[in-house]
Amino acid sequence: MNIVYVDLDRCVACRNCQLECSFRQAEITRDDGANIWVQVDLDHRAIFTSTCLQCETAPCLAACPAGGLTRDPATRAVVVDRNACLGCGMCLLACPFGHIHLEQAGRVASKCDLCGGDPRCVRVCMAQALHFGDVEELAEARRERSGRRLAVRATHREEAAS
Amino acid sequence: MIRAVPVLPDGRVRTLCRMCDSRCGIEVHIRNSVLADITPAPDNPGNQGRLCPRAHAALDLFYHPDRIQTPLKRTPNGAFEPIGWDQALDEIAGRLKAIVDQSGPPAVGAWKGEGVGFFQQEGYIRRFIRALGSPNYFSNDSVCFNGRWLGHHLVNGFWNPFPYFDQADLILLFGSNPPVCHPPFLREFADARVRGARLVVVDPKLNPIGCWADVYAQPRPGTDAALIWGLIRLVIESDRYDHDFVDRYVVGFEKIAAYAQRFTPEYVEAESGVWADVVRTIGDLIVRNRPRVSLYAGAGLEHHPGGVNTVRASVILSCLAGAMGRPSGLFWPESPRLASLDSRNLFLENGGRPIGADRFPVLAQMAGEGHSLSAVNAMLDSGEHRLRSLLVMAANPAVTNPNVLKVREALSRLDLLVVSDFFLTPTARLAHYVIPGATFLERTELHVHPKYQTLYLAPQVVRVDGIPTGYELWRDLAGRLGLAEWFPWPDETAVIRHLLEPGGWTIDDLTAHPEGIQYAPLRFDRCLNEPLPTPSGKVEFASQYLKNLGLDEIPEYRPPEAFLPASPEFPLTLITGARKSLLYHSRHGNIDRFRRVHPKAEAEMHPDDARNLGLENGDTIRLVTAGGALIVAVRIVHAAEIRPGVIELYHGWEEAPANLLTLDEVNDPISGFPWLKGVPVRVEKI
Ligand code: SF4
Repeated sequence: MNIVYVDLDRCVACRNCQLECSFRQAEITRDDGANIWVQVDLDHRAIFTSTCLQCETAPCLAACPAGGLTRDPATRAVVVDRNACLGCGMCLLACPFGHIHLEQAGRVASKCDLCGGDPRCVRVCMAQALHFGDVEELAEARRERSGRRLAVRATHREEAAS
Repeated sequence: MIRAVPVLPDGRVRTLCRMCDSRCGIEVHIRNSVLADITPAPDNPGNQGRLCPRAHAALDLFYHPDRIQTPLKRTPNGAFEPIGWDQALDEIAGRLKAIVDQSGPPAVGAWKGEGVGFFQQEGYIRRFIRALGSPNYFSNDSVCFNGRWLGHHLVNGFWNPFPYFDQADLILLFGSNPPVCHPPFLREFADARVRGARLVVVDPKLNPIGCWADVYAQPRPGTDAALIWGLIRLVIESDRYDHDFVDRYVVGFEKIAAYAQRFTPEYVEAESGVWADVVRTIGDLIVRNRPRVSLYAGAGLEHHPGGVNTVRASVILSCLAGAMGRPSGLFWPESPRLASLDSRNLFLENGGRPIGADRFPVLAQMAGEGHSLSAVNAMLDSGEHRLRSLLVMAANPAVTNPNVLKVREALSRLDLLVVSDFFLTPTARLAHYVIPGATFLERTELHVHPKYQTLYLAPQVVRVDGIPTGYELWRDLAGRLGLAEWFPWPDETAVIRHLLEPGGWTIDDLTAHPEGIQYAPLRFDRCLNEPLPTPSGKVEFASQYLKNLGLDEIPEYRPPEAFLPASPEFPLTLITGARKSLLYHSRHGNIDRFRRVHPKAEAEMHPDDARNLGLENGDTIRLVTAGGALIVAVRIVHAAEIRPGVIELYHGWEEAPANLLTLDEVNDPISGFPWLKGVPVRVEKI
């Protein structure tokens, strides 16, 4: 299945994704809380960006007592049914990553729904740190790259030695 | 609601985004004759299928309810009344004619803003003012861009502002925040980084990109040149620079080698506050990663009186690092063979001596334009050289030029001020006539991208009855002044046909290639095989041209205190001009969703300074400089985020213009730039 995947090596924390997500949330719900988070730790000069992974065995889905979360048959995203959601917050507690938030205006859960299959955060990621694709393909690309990097380092070492 | 007539009722139009000068490829979606969406074009090499969030704001601007849709005339009581196009132009032309008859053509000036870019629209304005017989062309470049343009051109005669960062092994960013200013750089940075390239960021403010860097250095504002000279010294000392290159291509190496001697890491530390060890680390990175070094000098380097010299020093450092003739470094892009609407040289051959040419001859001679800060003085002049009329296109100097109170006073003294813009900006509010401005979606325009050496046609996407394109405005005005032969083309398409003629391209060729046509193969080594466009034909580490003008032969470093003696009255340092992600200079503050992200003006301050001044987050303070005072809220940032002693204030707030505090009379002797960054300041709690 396709998910939004963050390549942390490429993320410069420009926050375009977070801004764009909050604009879309505001269009739907008048609440501009984003569902992708760019965290900058200035003490350690570290950047961490994350969003919902649309887990296959989603703890949030299992925890929901009201049928407020369902799986979109087309995109396989876990989506909030704003009419059924009680706003109890169980899903927030269940998500091991903190990838759901409570929308202030409607007091219901809010999470990444992959924008129905064309995630806007990816569109505005100029660094190409965000990708929308099959998780397996993404993992493969990642494997390839880390392999290449090791090879490059080895060549550099050889060059330096010679 | 605006009377929009899209070029097609339904479908997509490929064009280029002109919400900033990166000019990313976009597709504008039209549904039921409404501009419904903007998405990235799939195959533009710059943005590669991505866009920044500002692109979509083109639609917010286009449909903005406050947009001016008819010409406006100011009434005696200060209000504006809508008038017809013909009446507006007849009256403007009549008043211009009277001024020219009484005081001569130089009493009229034209002022171009960033909003219309740097090529075709600039060409119309330059052409118009020259047709009128006045040398007085001014632009936003007087306070941004020209400093770097001159700095590069003085050393090697060209500037490629967009190197191929993805080919670099070491990227050095000085005074630049590309995630906000140049979003398309990011893909290249990331490509280089995942390949193992190193990144060094030098900036008094720690932006997130500084968190991503291998080395982050936080200098005292205005002292970058000391650091750069320190690095020049280390590279020379390492003896790892290219001797052959220096022997064959460089003028003045001995002079700079001798001057660099005093810039030991310890001296650099004393001047800039960057630790000596960090200076050595950066020097070592340059030596180890040469020649694939990309050194990017951001606007942070040019916005102070030592700006051009700092940029010149940075180019010298690049050259010594082996960057000349490499895609990641300095290369001399070719220009397409296009007809010129107004070449800078023609202007000079015609004896053009714009206002400011006496004080800043380099600016007039090399950039072919007047000095906008001197223009403000000339508006306030009472003598025969008074500038009496100004035609302003997409510029907002009442917010974005230094010393705004003086600028506003000067603009209100004009006998005729005409402003073309989308909104009633603070500048437009001072005008006698306001002409509705067309967005980039409403015009057909050629674009040249020197990095890829491509030529694009950005077609008109939508027409709005009653809103003239830039071309129509200048054509119709010229016609009324008896200058019709200067604008003989019926419309923009005809202008473009004329521009394309020398190169033999047609509009059809360009339309068939919305991804652009490469007009010449990229030859990165051109600068090593042809004489450079400098007076000596070589790389000028030392400039005889500047020396003859009584200016610095080599780019000497001068600390901020050399321009304004340190005074206990102003113990802190103000930096302005750092960008906000969604705002663009003085623009976009009226887009609601952007405004929610950047709700109000705030001066950013280090927690230690706040503690010393007894300030809490959100307190109101008064900032006072030698130029003026401003009341604003304070935001106390993380201790790592800004250098202690430094206050940062964004420059585009209409309600709190940082340019109340900047200094228009302390200038870079070469470019004439004002002092915008590193201004001595005092903070008063109120
Ligand atoms: S960087 Fe953003 S504003 Fe600039 S041209 Fe590209 S999409 Fe437009």
